[in-house]
Amino acid sequence: MSAPAEGTLRAIATFVAAFGIGVATYITIADSGGGAPACLAGGGGCETVADSSYSHILGINVAVFGIVGYVLLVATALLRGDAARMAGFGISLGGFGFSVYLTYLELFKIEAICQWCVASAVLMTILFGLNAVRMVGYVGRPG
Amino acid sequence: MSGKSAREERREERLQQESEGERQERRRRLLQIGAGAVFVAVVAVAVVIVVVSSGGGGGGEVDLEDTRLVKNELSGIPQEGLLLGRPQAKVTLWEYGDLQCPVCKAYSEEIVPEVIESEVRGGAAKIEFRNFTIIGPESVPAGAAAIAAGMQGRGWDYLELFYRNQGTEGSGYVTDEFMTEVAKGAGVPNIAKWNKDRKSEKMISEVEATTSEAQRLGFTGTPSFAIEGPGTSGKETLGTPGSAGTIEEAVEAAG
Repeated sequence: MSAPAEGTLRAIATFVAAFGIGVATYITIADSGGGAPACLAGGGGCETVADSSYSHILGINVAVFGIVGYVLLVATALLRGDAARMAGFGISLGGFGFSVYLTYLELFKIEAICQWCVASAVLMTILFGLNAVRMVGYVGRPG
Repeated sequence: MSGKSAREERREERLQQESEGERQERRRRLLQIGAGAVFVAVVAVAVVIVVVSSGGGGGGEVDLEDTRLVKNELSGIPQEGLLLGRPQAKVTLWEYGDLQCPVCKAYSEEIVPEVIESEVRGGAAKIEFRNFTIIGPESVPAGAAAIAAGMQGRGWDYLELFYRNQGTEGSGYVTDEFMTEVAKGAGVPNIAKWNKDRKSEKMISEVEATTSEAQRLGFTGTPSFAIEGPGTSGKETLGTPGSAGTIEEAVEAAG
């Protein structure tokens, strides 16, 4: 089975990463106001997660790292060549690993689920999939 | 002419093959790097999760115990301030306690849960915690923090979780960090508000007021209990009952 056209993968990745920037920016803005993202289905999951000691690393909200990651992923999706393919794969792999860690914290340490964090984890998983297919399918090839 | 052209064609073909070979080699190398990165990422995530789950890092310094147990003990019971139970319950029990007091901790673990289950959950009585600070100065901020947690509907979660994680008397464990972890564990929704409330003059005065009230009632130790219901003549003191059964009997007599 051949990989989808690289242009298609890049276009989808650009869209998904841009959406990720939106989600991570919302979480960052909600947190910077001293509050927490609003959970759409009610419940205090988002507040519990935002108030937990795990929500910041060295005083920086983890969502800020998310924004940086998604911006870099937009850049790698827009660029051509092996450097962009490898960088996109590496960054999305890091983001995916970080999302696995954060989801573990939500489930087993904080014991609360924030939909916005889940949304970001899903987006990062999709981006990892897209970048993995792009890398395996096209790295070392012209374009 | 044609011989030279054929040679050039062969040369170009060879160069093309060489360049294709180089490309394949480069692709193989890059794919190896990718596979290596996946391996490193899997190991890194596994190591971080193992370290965090063993309490070695990541979150706060205080590792709370019994968070789930307290949650289960109080689940489904209404709370308002430091009052636990249905507001319309005929009998009111008061516990005058000090969060730093080891005997109160023992009551919180062995006697109070039984009373909550048998009398409060069913609606026969409601129980209110009032601060009676006798152990030391740190009991005041600890008690004020409980009232502040009560303002967000998590007062009893805070009290029970504090007792379950109580440190050695006078060891200085009642730090801002400890109380914050207890509040988080208790599920206080807005920690920033709780932080502001617990330090307010109003909260401190309330702790002092209930301490004076306990002294007026003639209590000299913690925990001390009082009760009021249709069967009592006003608020009656129970002192420090030795068992859950004694409190349950008092509730029945008062009801």
